[in-house]
Amino acid sequence: MSARDQILNQLRSNERPAEHPEPWRSRRNFPDLAERFTQTLTAGKGEVIRAASFEAALNEIDTILHELQAKRVVVNDTAPLDGLDVTQQWPDFEWFVAGKSEGDIKSFCAGADVGLSGADAALAETGSVVVSSGPGKSRLATLLPPVHLAIVPTSILTSDILTWTAARQGQPGANRVLVSGPSKTADIEQVLAIGVHGPKRFIVVLYDD
Amino acid sequence: MTATMHEFRHSAFVAIEDIQLQSALEGATHKFGTGRTDALAEVPEVEAMRDHFKKVRAATLSQLAHHLETFEKNATAAGTQVHWAATGDDACRIVLDIAQKHGVKLVTKSKSMATEEIHLNQVLSKAGIEPVETDLGEWIIQLAGDPPSHIIAPAIHKTRHQIAEMFTKETGQQVSADDIPGLTELARQVLRQKFLAAGMGISGGNIMVAETGSLVLVMNEGNGRLVTSTPPVHVAVVGLEKLAPTWDDAAVWLSLLARSSTGQALTIYTNIITGPARPTDPDGPQEVHIVILDNGRSKLIGTKYEEVLQCIRCGACLNACPVYREAGGHAYGNPYSGPIGAVIAPLLFGLDKYSGLPHASSLCGACKDVCPARIDLPRMLLELRADEVEQRVLPWWESMSERAAAFGLANPGLFKYGTAVMRQLQRPLAKGDKLNLPGKLNPGQSRKTPALAKRSFHDIWQSGELDNKNGGE
Repeated sequence: MSARDQILNQLRSNERPAEHPEPWRSRRNFPDLAERFTQTLTAGKGEVIRAASFEAALNEIDTILHELQAKRVVVNDTAPLDGLDVTQQWPDFEWFVAGKSEGDIKSFCAGADVGLSGADAALAETGSVVVSSGPGKSRLATLLPPVHLAIVPTSILTSDILTWTAARQGQPGANRVLVSGPSKTADIEQVLAIGVHGPKRFIVVLYDD
Repeated sequence: MTATMHEFRHSAFVAIEDIQLQSALEGATHKFGTGRTDALAEVPEVEAMRDHFKKVRAATLSQLAHHLETFEKNATAAGTQVHWAATGDDACRIVLDIAQKHGVKLVTKSKSMATEEIHLNQVLSKAGIEPVETDLGEWIIQLAGDPPSHIIAPAIHKTRHQIAEMFTKETGQQVSADDIPGLTELARQVLRQKFLAAGMGISGGNIMVAETGSLVLVMNEGNGRLVTSTPPVHVAVVGLEKLAPTWDDAAVWLSLLARSSTGQALTIYTNIITGPARPTDPDGPQEVHIVILDNGRSKLIGTKYEEVLQCIRCGACLNACPVYREAGGHAYGNPYSGPIGAVIAPLLFGLDKYSGLPHASSLCGACKDVCPARIDLPRMLLELRADEVEQRVLPWWESMSERAAAFGLANPGLFKYGTAVMRQLQRPLAKGDKLNLPGKLNPGQSRKTPALAKRSFHDIWQSGELDNKNGGE
């Protein structure tokens, strides 16, 4: 008998009827999702910059990239940036557009200064941004560079992980990550240190759309 | 390693004498404990949410075969290769086969209690494959050759000075012990190269979600993203009980996990993996394997110990436990420490080998109070003690003396006579109201066993002296 059958038979021999409880729904009711998102993420050492429009958000990104003195930037070719030719918009930087640029994305990301991404959703309660893999959406872009910069419209804000999962549709892609701050650790004498393996800075430009 | 009564006592006494360890344990468990309280207090109707979660876990375990099959079906449809391992050795063999098939020489690992449990690193090393732990705490204990001393903070027993020394030895670079960001940066640089060079990544898994065949990994450092995104092959080893039927269940699980564990609402990264990279993805692993690990778990279903499989490994019971907070993790002689370890190690690895652990508890119930799934650990500790008597795993002299004590306590006359004899016998050893016992009988030299009082309480009570002292007429 295979290990699979052996294990499943053992479990089945003690199977009992069980009533699975109805899903637990969110009890949250935040008056201002953007406000709560900003508060929580900032408390978790992330950075939030508010912008009044998409154009204003692009200006903020321009300012941030220059302030960071970025040279190499990798960008995920996805909403809300997919209609934009970043090489024309910001010609000062060397760009790698995921899914479009030629070359090895892993080595570019390993040497990049900033990874720029959109988001699928954002959770107000925990100050989390959901990034996923897919066409034009690289995982390494939001992981290897020392700075992860995400541009997020307020319309994709949801209350919390319970409301986010309750609204799910279809089968997810290969990878989905809830990012709730910069990489951190307290493994040495419980002292907080920022930026151990993932990005050292997590900056969200949150704009009204 | 094992933890019989004698072994546990011995290691615990060593730990109690270690001032540095005591202060580290005190600091970490206090920080996690208060963090947990504050984080849960912020959640609306959190007690009802915990009750709900308990029901979800119980219902899931009642029909675990069905849920695991659903998981397997959906994970396979997403391209994941699902393997089943009846024992730890089987799981190691499966992982090793995958590594050898791909000619892997270097493996990066994210923190996983399941792979600690099955001693995967030793198996890989023996086969000439270098496993590198990448969680900072795990890397530290790997360099030190130590087992983890806390489920979520494996290196709390190491000081910054010891860590700086090890890092210098490993990397050849001088680094100041007082520069913790500097130590962290050094680890980042060294391990980043390993991530990029590794042929395979190995992780554990916090949750398998049956509905979509997804694997959920939570972490703060981001290593669990690197391990599962950078190399071409990702293998996860997951205990079969870590299953959520739906995403609604997983969301409640995640709402409680980090809050109970580190006091965070969510960990920095919640990484959800549903199969290997799709053809249109710019990056990601070409193969994803999930090894569903039994290793003694399935036989607990339907027994009085089934409840222990509701555990989500948050570590809250460790932080709350007065015994863990003094004894530390190493005394438990296996990767799982604290109250959950005291129950699960005897069940998975043998009651005879871990006979000391059911007694490593004051039965105060703090573990049950803080458990997000309200697991009744004190009940199971008592059940295990009863099993020890039934299965006669205790040494003969111990069960004899317990039986003699039971007989004596049930016979007042014999008790009175016995204590009178003892009072005479203790004379050469008694010093004041304490006994000066020889080393072997008194392993904790810092604490002296009290001598029998000159007169019994019963005697004093009957004499009426107490009435006078209290001003009674």
